[in-house]
Amino acid sequence: MSISRRGFLAATGAAAAGMAMYAVTSGRAFAQGEDALKVAFAARGLRTMDPFQSIQGVDNWAIIAIYDKLVDLPRWRFPDTQDELVPRLATSWSSSPDAKTWTLELRQGVQFHRGYGELTSADVKYTFDRATDGQRVGGVRAKFVNIDSTETDGDYRVIFNLKRPDPLFLLGVLSDYDAGILSAKAVEELGDESLGRDAVGTGVYMLETVHEDPSQGVTVVANPDYWDTKAATPKIHFRYIADTTARTLALLSGDVHIIEGVRSPGWADSMRQRDPNLIFDVVSPGSFFTIQFNLTKAPFDDIRVRQALFYGIDRDEITTAIAPISQRTYGLNPPSFPGGFNVDTIPEEVAYKYDPEKAKALLAEAGYPNGLSFPNDTSQREDFSAIMLMIQDQLRRINVDMQLNIKDHTAFHADQNIGTNALSQQSSAMPPVPTQVILTYLTAAGEVKADGSGGSNMSHYGVTIPGIDDLLNQALAEPDLDKRIAIVQQIEVQALKDAVILPVSNNGFMMVRSPKVDLGFEVESGYVNWHLSQATIS
Amino acid sequence: MAKYLLLRLADAIPTVFLVLVLVFIAMRILPGDPAVAALGDMATPEQLALFRERMGLNDPLWMQFFNFVKGVLTLDLGNSMMSNQNVVGLILYNLPYTIELTVVAMLLGLIMGVPLGVLAATNRNKAPDSAVRGFSLIGYAIPDFYLGALLLITFSLNLGWFPINGGGEGFAGRMYHVFLPALTLAFVKAAFIGRLTRTSLLEVLSKDYVRTARAKGAKESRVIYRHGLRNALLPLTTGLGLSTLATLSGSVAIEMVFNRPGIGKLLINAIAERDYAVIQGGVVVFAMFVVIINLLMDLLYIVVDPRIRMQ
Repeated sequence: MSISRRGFLAATGAAAAGMAMYAVTSGRAFAQGEDALKVAFAARGLRTMDPFQSIQGVDNWAIIAIYDKLVDLPRWRFPDTQDELVPRLATSWSSSPDAKTWTLELRQGVQFHRGYGELTSADVKYTFDRATDGQRVGGVRAKFVNIDSTETDGDYRVIFNLKRPDPLFLLGVLSDYDAGILSAKAVEELGDESLGRDAVGTGVYMLETVHEDPSQGVTVVANPDYWDTKAATPKIHFRYIADTTARTLALLSGDVHIIEGVRSPGWADSMRQRDPNLIFDVVSPGSFFTIQFNLTKAPFDDIRVRQALFYGIDRDEITTAIAPISQRTYGLNPPSFPGGFNVDTIPEEVAYKYDPEKAKALLAEAGYPNGLSFPNDTSQREDFSAIMLMIQDQLRRINVDMQLNIKDHTAFHADQNIGTNALSQQSSAMPPVPTQVILTYLTAAGEVKADGSGGSNMSHYGVTIPGIDDLLNQALAEPDLDKRIAIVQQIEVQALKDAVILPVSNNGFMMVRSPKVDLGFEVESGYVNWHLSQATIS
Repeated sequence: MAKYLLLRLADAIPTVFLVLVLVFIAMRILPGDPAVAALGDMATPEQLALFRERMGLNDPLWMQFFNFVKGVLTLDLGNSMMSNQNVVGLILYNLPYTIELTVVAMLLGLIMGVPLGVLAATNRNKAPDSAVRGFSLIGYAIPDFYLGALLLITFSLNLGWFPINGGGEGFAGRMYHVFLPALTLAFVKAAFIGRLTRTSLLEVLSKDYVRTARAKGAKESRVIYRHGLRNALLPLTTGLGLSTLATLSGSVAIEMVFNRPGIGKLLINAIAERDYAVIQGGVVVFAMFVVIINLLMDLLYIVVDPRIRMQ
């Protein structure tokens, strides 16, 4: 070894000085050109590009750019009726009177990316056979369970046979991100597992890169042979910046054009103060924030205590504080969904208008004239903790001390999923299918279990007290949409009367964009992934 | 030399094994089901069961541990439970970013810290000494993630001199992206190194041979740099080793603040998602770092102080 002390120190100093000088003088030469639209989401990294395995909502922005669906929402809102759905790979459709058989005619001449040939009915059948096959990757997604079989009739006609009637099959199943049509040839050639990091669709964009660093996400490039209007921007880079400050700074500095907003009080106002020209797009309903009362835990086995808390929680105050993303809900389905109750239609006896005096009286009647206290878990995730801290404060006004234990999000769900929480909280996005929220939260079969193998019925409704299962079965067997909605409303009223689940708010999905970006459409409602094919950067 | 290196590496085996045991147990004690974390709250019981089976989570614990140790020995740490990416690949991708951050931060810390320490020692109890001590106090007190956010807002957002996030590509891009995060860590390092240099140099400057050098009429700069500083380097080298390890752990927060790739960020994300495979792999890498840096420091002693021999 022949390094001298002087040489070592000199070399060290020179290297550091050189790097420092280079860094400072190299300036911003590395900023990308404006041909790429850059979007940053509040997540740690891309999980998968497989539409049937995707569980992280923001991954679906890239997925819907690459995979076309058979039908789609009008851009960008949930339609009032299925007649407003937009034909995509399917050009027309019809259903049997019992809504159990759906026949779709396919568009001809549509080509898969990378030379994988023309789309045919075999690809559609392959896609949904895979989706309903429990042994294949991700093939157990609940929404496809109602598909009994998928048949082809020639190259351009597909027939879906359902187990139970579904008058909203196109809207609730086929227009969501996970109904993107795969190339049978590509999947067979590349392998099931490859779909996580590779993608061959027919969409307006083609996969360019799934970056090795998950936080760098995915880059897509315009499909030059697209069958419909070509992409307005040649490239989109979907990135992931979980840290709120880093994501905010990325937008303010111009490093990205669009970011996912933060669901916490005051964030939007602070952003507007920083840059009044920023554009806030909020899609409603977003996630439904509900609280389920655990009927097996005293004192919540007493309906008077549950109702007292219903009256003691000021939902208007919560939604005002988290504006503009938060909106009041009145029933379990949000007002924008078919049959969803609004301020005018919610029956008076289950409206639970904020009334602290009534809440105190109910508590006194239940044997708690001096109030009560109980421990409760919530998640550190900003939407959960912000809402639950407000509720904690409101409950103090009726002498109820909710001792909040704020946990890491994964640990919170792990505990809640074995039924340990008194007031369980859920924040889930759902399709505009009125029975979905009932199926998820209120059936006896979905009761939470101590070993974690149960479902999301955290209240034990239908098990500890009679529930709504019979009514739900009636609704699911009803092919007529209006009649089905009437039964669903009956279910909602019963659950609210029993005070087992409190619909708090819809927390919309908010994106904030630079004024330089025009999306090409107005965002009103819909899923939490939007098409960016007509987005332009000025 | 080779024998010495092998002996030192053999010394590290029990340490690394203990780390493997601890991280394995910690992961299993931590609340949260990786299957739920990976598949989401709405996953069906069948889907969760399938995932657990595929990831080996249904195996007995001893078998899971055996597979983990075998994986470490064969450099096959499996796939991420979240992204299904190869863990070794993820580590190899992220590791250089953490190393470059640590190295540049240490170099900048040395460049700032050593002259400050000399300045303070040669002006004992005067204004420069007070200023350096004040700087050291601030450096110790200010959390690096907070300082990082301040520098980010000032130099990246307001002045636009540096990128907001990312790791950069190519040598130039990498240096451009690493400078500000490294400077953040370097401030803290400079405080530590400056204080250490001051203390060490003051001690040396009070020695007889320094007085003799001055009595012989040696120039003050020669006394300080040739007789003083070179002899003050040994304690500084020990401090550098500890400081490098501290920088490495500090890089975790800095990688999050600057949203740059690295082992720290990889680990934090994996912990939040209960991604056992990545956590275990990442912690093993950190443990190996500790072993290697300690070894390098031992070797550096030999370079810095010829009196030290391997015996």
